Amino acid sequence: MLLLGIDVGGTHTDAVALGPKGIEAQVKVATNHDDLLSSIKSALSEIVQNTDPSSIKQLNLSTTLSTNAIVEGRFEDVGVIVSAGPGLDPHSFMLCKDFHVIPGSLDHRGSETKQLNNLSLEEAISSCRKSGVKVYAAITKFSPRNPAHEKEMELAIGDNADFITLGHQITGRLNFPRRIATAFYNCAVWRVFNKFADAISGTLEEMGLGHIKVNILKADGGTMPLPLSRKVPVQSIFSGPAASVMGIIALCKITHDSIIYDIGGTTTDIAIFVGGTPLIEQEGINIGSHPTLVRALKVHSIGVGGDSAISILEGTVRVGPTRVGPSIAFGGEIPTLTDALIWKDSCDCGNIGKSKAGFAAFASKIDMDPDELADKAIENAIDKIHDSTRELVEEINQQPVYTIHELLENRRIIPRKIYIMGGPAKAIKMDIFRKFRLSTEVPENYDVANAIGAALTRTTTEIELFADTERGVMFIPSLGYRENVPRTYDLEAAEKDAMNHLLAHLGEMSVAADGDNALITASSSFNMVNGNTTVGRNIRVKCQIKPGVVRTYS
Amino acid sequence: MLKAENSLGIIFFPAYDWAISPTHPEREERLLYTQDQLREEGLFDIEGIREYKPEVAETEDIERVHFCFPEAEAIATRSHYISTGGAIKAAELVMQGEPDRAFALVRPPGHHAMKTVLGSRGFCAVNVEAIMCEHIREKYGQKRIAIVDTDCHHGDGTQDVYWHDPNTLFISMHQDGRTIFPGTGFPKDAGGPKALGKNINIPLPPGTSDAGFMMVMERIVMPILEDFKPDLIINSAGQDNHFTDPITNMNFSAQGYAALTKMLKPDIAVLEGGYAIQGALPYVNLGISLALAGVDYSHVCEPGWNPETLKESDEIMGYIETLCGSIPDVYFNPPEKSNEGIINGDWSVRHRNIFYDTEGFTESQTESLLLCNECRGLLKVQTQKENGPMGFGVEIPIGACDKCRNTGYSLLEEAQVKSKYRYMQMINRREKEYMRYGF
Repeated sequence: MLLLGIDVGGTHTDAVALGPKGIEAQVKVATNHDDLLSSIKSALSEIVQNTDPSSIKQLNLSTTLSTNAIVEGRFEDVGVIVSAGPGLDPHSFMLCKDFHVIPGSLDHRGSETKQLNNLSLEEAISSCRKSGVKVYAAITKFSPRNPAHEKEMELAIGDNADFITLGHQITGRLNFPRRIATAFYNCAVWRVFNKFADAISGTLEEMGLGHIKVNILKADGGTMPLPLSRKVPVQSIFSGPAASVMGIIALCKITHDSIIYDIGGTTTDIAIFVGGTPLIEQEGINIGSHPTLVRALKVHSIGVGGDSAISILEGTVRVGPTRVGPSIAFGGEIPTLTDALIWKDSCDCGNIGKSKAGFAAFASKIDMDPDELADKAIENAIDKIHDSTRELVEEINQQPVYTIHELLENRRIIPRKIYIMGGPAKAIKMDIFRKFRLSTEVPENYDVANAIGAALTRTTTEIELFADTERGVMFIPSLGYRENVPRTYDLEAAEKDAMNHLLAHLGEMSVAADGDNALITASSSFNMVNGNTTVGRNIRVKCQIKPGVVRTYS
Repeated sequence: MLKAENSLGIIFFPAYDWAISPTHPEREERLLYTQDQLREEGLFDIEGIREYKPEVAETEDIERVHFCFPEAEAIATRSHYISTGGAIKAAELVMQGEPDRAFALVRPPGHHAMKTVLGSRGFCAVNVEAIMCEHIREKYGQKRIAIVDTDCHHGDGTQDVYWHDPNTLFISMHQDGRTIFPGTGFPKDAGGPKALGKNINIPLPPGTSDAGFMMVMERIVMPILEDFKPDLIINSAGQDNHFTDPITNMNFSAQGYAALTKMLKPDIAVLEGGYAIQGALPYVNLGISLALAGVDYSHVCEPGWNPETLKESDEIMGYIETLCGSIPDVYFNPPEKSNEGIINGDWSVRHRNIFYDTEGFTESQTESLLLCNECRGLLKVQTQKENGPMGFGVEIPIGACDKCRNTGYSLLEEAQVKSKYRYMQMINRREKEYMRYGF
């Protein structure tokens, strides 16, 4: 039995096949930006040549398809229909031309405080139809408390749409502007992603791999089955950094608070582990300048990488943040961090002679000793990494908490170990150690950690349950599940329901439901008082399958 | 993307695990819907608005301000240490220039806590704003501070803490004390003998709405602030003037609160009361936050808000107009004598009985100020909780003269020798020495 992992990166596409004895095949091919499918195909065919196709069970794929489509603006027009009520002017969140605000409102408990204006809704839809819009996003404020208005919108849009995203289906977490942006992008890349998914299925069929289960990586360090991803393609964006982080988990046994560096060509990604678990971004990542509700591992990128150019500014040697071209060792003109490492004999890659000659020439041009230049360049890069890491840890330790218990407990993150991967990992290891004085490790196979991470990543999902016993309702927005509950419904029952629905949802995605990885991340119950009597409870429970890797093949 | 005109730090601490009692208005979910509203609005995604974690105040922060008997730890719960710590964090942020302004959305509140505290009154145990202000002064030097209290209840605690301080201007606008707790807060209370005109009470008639509040702001508050020229403006941002508040009788709105905040431009706002937790707080807190940040708040209004039906009658407006005519005089032409205290030798002495409504006991207190020509004067307090042990406190103020300072220490020594008091406390702001004795 083999598990395949493919990570389509900016420069390279990495693929591995993992079997009971470890890596059975690994491939690195150049990524063809204009035809990602061809890169995947060539990686796959090489893997298939070196393994027995019938033993392949699963393919986990991390792709930049949606990310690129968004960044390059190659997406279709979306009709965005929102209803806001009191608060910030919803027009502040207008992110496309077919943006319509419909009068109507729900309050924070989900009570309707103003009916949805049907006339205005009809006008908005007809205007979208005239512009030729075929995909729609419908979002109302507080829809995770009550989806009624979004459902009315869905009904009204009806056959006008090839695809509709309703805000409450994305997540039960509150944040109206982010929900708008997330629903918008989900619609925007829906068609391009589905075409790609069709092509992947077709390709696998052609290669005799029709039987394997395909999962798409998400940015939160988990996967989703291909059929599900067709409805929530936005969840596939920015999965690259997550693949690398999950790779580290697969390759090393991480138990302490740790720092993870993935040093690439242009950037270094910094991730933080608390205990053995990667941290998740509190709300969600930004797409372009728009914050979204797409859950992601907390990964901070800084402009220091192997290809970062060395420059002198006001007498100070600096590395990055720009990449002018490849290192001299790989045919470039301007010396880079990699060239500095080569000069110090820390790194053995590319054309060593050419790199050293170019580096010395640059140093003499600026009237500096090449040794000193290399030292200062490396020091500058390490300082940047060090300072950013400190800021990141401080920021995480400053994150707000809402109960006295949590505040007094004051769990601070204190990193005890550093893991490094990516091209210059080995070369820079000792410099990092000298700066931090923390145990520093570069795992074996660090160059394909991303693909290994992709291959072994588990399916994750999260749900939020919300119950209001005064009204007698329980609601799980992302599953669209609503149930009447008795006045006696309490936190314990809610936690149990949340876990059951989470595991059942996994079952529906044909994923073996693993109760051990399911956990409740937040749960609270508030007595609602009117006058002097308790009239009900306001209950909120969040649970998730925590990100992790399949340990079978480690 | 929205961008804040003034950067704003919000310290949001709802204390989801603390209540006075299960059905008390000051209970766990008081800020729950506010949190939902702020999250759903995406407030913290606005460029320039950031959320911060509170600090935990030190006992010294409390004992720098209050005479606490038997001791600070017995009166302030952990939640009070955090809500005062939240305000201190807000102050630190602003003093360090990190954001331009800060809003401490913390509970429990504090503006009914007086100089001497023996327990909890008006839902308050220790004075959050005073502890914050004195933390600022201790660390950043003597500042001129104006505290504007917009809670519906008279800020009798803050008034008492600053009664003798000429460097702190306290302005409280509230529902007339003849109609509501704590029954105080009249214009005749102009401050102690050394701080006359620095305590301004504006008792407003029940039913006052947006127009009335704004008239008071324009004609009383702003002209006085302009003259006082404070280094810092603090807003005790109580929200119980709201038309839906269950325990008050005013008609103020979220739009009104936001407009008031925009005009006042406080450096730091601290949440006080406000118990319409579903119908008012989510909108008022949003309105205040946006106004502080300089972001458009024109769409923030409560469901069911109708400015027409809430409008003041001509009679009410007429009454408020009279107030606007007379109250500025309290500041600009203060009375020559304080309305409280009798002169006894070199001392100005006040005898008072103070009722602690939350816990239901009465304190009898004698407060004496040494009338000094060199400084604002030494303060001593003798206090007794109903049939309980006696407490004794001495405060040597910032900038005290040598005579007042030395008198303070000899009074303390004398009290120790006499052993008349169970508890004794010394607040020496001059040398930053804080001591307490007794068991």
